[in-house]
Amino acid sequence: MSLFPGFMHWLVLSTILFSIGIYGVLCRKSALGVLIAIELMLNSAAINFIVFNRFISPATLDGALMVIFIIAVAAAEAVVAMAIFVAIFRSRKTVDVNKFNTMRG
Amino acid sequence: MGFVFEHSWLIPALPFFSFLIVGLIVSPLSRRAAGVVATLSIFASAVLACWLCWEYFHLYPPGSHQPTFVAWNFEWLRYYQFLSVNAGVLVDPPAILLMVIVTVVSAFIHLYSIGYMADDDGSGRYFTYLNLFTFSMLGLVVAPNILQMYIFWELVGISSFLLIGFYYKKRSAVAASKKAFIVTRFADVFFLIGILLLGYHGFQILSESGAGQTGVQAFDFLFLNHPATLSALADRGILTAACILIFIGAAGKSAMFPLHIWLPDAMEGPTPVSALIHAATMVVAGIYLVARLFAAFAASGTALLVAAYVGAFTCLFAAVIACTQNDIKRVLAFSTLSQLGYMMFALGVSTMDNPLGYTASLFHLFTHAFFKALLFLGAGAVIHAVHTNEIWSMGGLAKRMPITHITFLIATLAIVGVPPLSGFFSKDLILAAALGNNHPTIFAVGLLVAGITAFYMFRIYFVTFWGKARSEASKSAHEAPLVMLVPLIVLAVFAAVSGFVPMGDFVRAGEEVGEHGGSILIPILAAAFGLIGITVAWLFYSGESPLSQLVVNRLGKAYTIISSKFYIDEIYLFVTQRIIFPYIGAPIAWFDRHVVDGAVNLTANLTRLGGVVLSLLQTGQAQTYGVWLVNGAIVLALCIWLFTK
Amino acid sequence: MSTGDFVYTLSFYLFGVIAVIAALVAVTSNRILRAAVGLAVTLVSGAAFYILLNYDFIAAIQVLVYVGGIVVLIIYAIMLTSSSELVESRPASLRKALAFLAAILFFVFSVTAILKTNFSVESSESPPGEIAAALGRMILDTSSSGYVLPFEVISLLLLAAAIGAIVIARSYSPQATGAEKGKRAA
Repeated sequence: MSLFPGFMHWLVLSTILFSIGIYGVLCRKSALGVLIAIELMLNSAAINFIVFNRFISPATLDGALMVIFIIAVAAAEAVVAMAIFVAIFRSRKTVDVNKFNTMRG
Repeated sequence: MGFVFEHSWLIPALPFFSFLIVGLIVSPLSRRAAGVVATLSIFASAVLACWLCWEYFHLYPPGSHQPTFVAWNFEWLRYYQFLSVNAGVLVDPPAILLMVIVTVVSAFIHLYSIGYMADDDGSGRYFTYLNLFTFSMLGLVVAPNILQMYIFWELVGISSFLLIGFYYKKRSAVAASKKAFIVTRFADVFFLIGILLLGYHGFQILSESGAGQTGVQAFDFLFLNHPATLSALADRGILTAACILIFIGAAGKSAMFPLHIWLPDAMEGPTPVSALIHAATMVVAGIYLVARLFAAFAASGTALLVAAYVGAFTCLFAAVIACTQNDIKRVLAFSTLSQLGYMMFALGVSTMDNPLGYTASLFHLFTHAFFKALLFLGAGAVIHAVHTNEIWSMGGLAKRMPITHITFLIATLAIVGVPPLSGFFSKDLILAAALGNNHPTIFAVGLLVAGITAFYMFRIYFVTFWGKARSEASKSAHEAPLVMLVPLIVLAVFAAVSGFVPMGDFVRAGEEVGEHGGSILIPILAAAFGLIGITVAWLFYSGESPLSQLVVNRLGKAYTIISSKFYIDEIYLFVTQRIIFPYIGAPIAWFDRHVVDGAVNLTANLTRLGGVVLSLLQTGQAQTYGVWLVNGAIVLALCIWLFTK
Repeated sequence: MSTGDFVYTLSFYLFGVIAVIAALVAVTSNRILRAAVGLAVTLVSGAAFYILLNYDFIAAIQVLVYVGGIVVLIIYAIMLTSSSELVESRPASLRKALAFLAAILFFVFSVTAILKTNFSVESSESPPGEIAAALGRMILDTSSSGYVLPFEVISLLLLAAAIGAIVIARSYSPQATGAEKGKRAA
């Protein structure tokens, strides 16, 4: 593998970021921590889109447009998630995900 | 083929349908109607049986070849081409003989029971069981293959169990019914092993040889009695073993020593039941089985000899005990045992070359059915009048119950073998067979027992009917109602004349039974022994003679042993309760509870534990699920990728 | 290697390291605010990547919307929902181990898959012309290869999200809840 950042290097980088995001989603105790990790994962997906657009089909801008959509959807999702966390916090006084276990059994 | 041949299946079927109808519909509605319906159906079956007999012997008159044919055969369960369980009806002279006996005697006993059981609340149940019994016995008699016979054998056992335990509120009756069932069941294990042996080897013989024989099954009697089959079985060395195993089954049902213990106790049942089942019909099932397989037994000489010696011993053993019993039904029970011994050794002494004993045995079965049933029914009438079974509480009943007295006397003379009553002819034939086939010891035993029979039968006759009344009840005894008297009279007529039937022309093994060939000395000797027995009984019991007490005192200890039936029951109790239960039964029960049940419980517990473990995954937390999901998905993808590379 | 290439390589590795470290901070820090800041740094590095790949407009959008909007929103939510001093306790070791295993497995699996695939790479130096105008044209293009439908749908989505968030997070006044409770009792 040469040191010059080629296509594969970019992909490996975004995979690293995605894996770190997975770790965070599965391991964070606070709901907001989980949300942060999800944003990480979305960001790394966006990087992937750009990279593919750049290296596989540079003539069009489909990948870039997808990134804009990703950002918009991430924003919407973060907004709704916040609203839910605020509502839960109001009744439960905590946002610890381990405490939300009514589906137990 | 006439109507009755094609429809001979009706003979067992009528009692079966009657059983269902009486049991399910009529008996809950009306007890009296149950009795009437049950009796009518058996009479109908009896009419059909007599018609069949008439037709058969018209078509194949005595002296000509008398074929065995299977009137109806139905394949029920097929394992292989030559191994299937069939149901059917077999018609040949012994079967016809038994059909006639069973239906006619059963019909009259049903009629008698209408009177005897009139006051009993459970009489609906009683008639249901009696019909079931008649159906089972008929099914056994007409069985064309040994498996059907076994099935009905067990059914007969169940009917007997139900009927012995009919007075289920009496503890002794319940114990007696259990004892009967368990002892016969124990014997039937050996019977079944014998059947399986025959079936296994028969199947192999059929598969090796007759590839083209369709319709022949390994269990059929026609196949099993065929000389070719028998020689093949003997070559394999299992013929004697199978025959002896089957004989053990027959010995259980026919109460041969040492499996006789259930028959005296079976007298706990109502007296008509004792008459039908334990005198005339069920106990002769063993005799019938050996007669059915006579060719097989004859081919293996050892089995027949075993039958002969066991029969002769039982004959003597039971006669000796009968002399000491004080319960009228017990005496009659031991008398039945003794006569069954006669029938069994009559079969045992015959061979294929000289099959006189075969005819003699079935002839004695025929006559015994009538006079023994009559004896029991008469005893029943007496018990009904005096309300006790003890002979020493009876006495002087001859004047108060004249018809019962006369019929009982006729039956007693018949069983003793006084000419010209029926017992004389059949017993004479048996003794001639024993001597003619070179069994002098057995002949001597037969003669001796004839004398002892005369003694104990006339003992109860004199004590019951002669002399002064010994209790209040017997002073006020009255004659039985008409519905009970008619069967007594009819059976007395049969007991008197049935000896004149030339049985040798009708029922024989092989083609020709010659004249009985023995000298005139045999009947004279038999009659002499009988007269000696009667005289001794008259001396001891007809008046208030002290002679009997003197003999009892002289015998002392021996008398106690004999009257306790040689302590055989106590030996059985000891063996089962002290040896079998703690040393064999208890460990097996432990094994069953802890190992067999334990294994089942183990699988259940393991499954439950598995469930508990898996439920640990269900924490309700989304991250737990996420972790397992991602890990699982990746491992799965890895596996798929690796295996499809 | 030319200077341009050298700068390119250096920037790539520099910002890559920053992104990875910041991401690690974002997922492992006890303090939520530090995690939020770590996220912000990662996102800014992401913007740097876009610039390296010559998509400067997208980088600007990333910083403006993602960092300036979403991360700020996250910080608002943190402020609104924290009951203690913004410190959370460590998760159970089993959970951490399994999550680590999941991450590692995924990484290995994906990288193996990527490395084995032959992508048809045409690398050219730069994307076509002005990105913003081209993007705008694509968004409003009503032909079959245009993106006007997703655009409209996303605007609907944003509207729905806004309304939904307001409804979910609305606080009920005491007399309204009391009246409802009274109605249910009757």
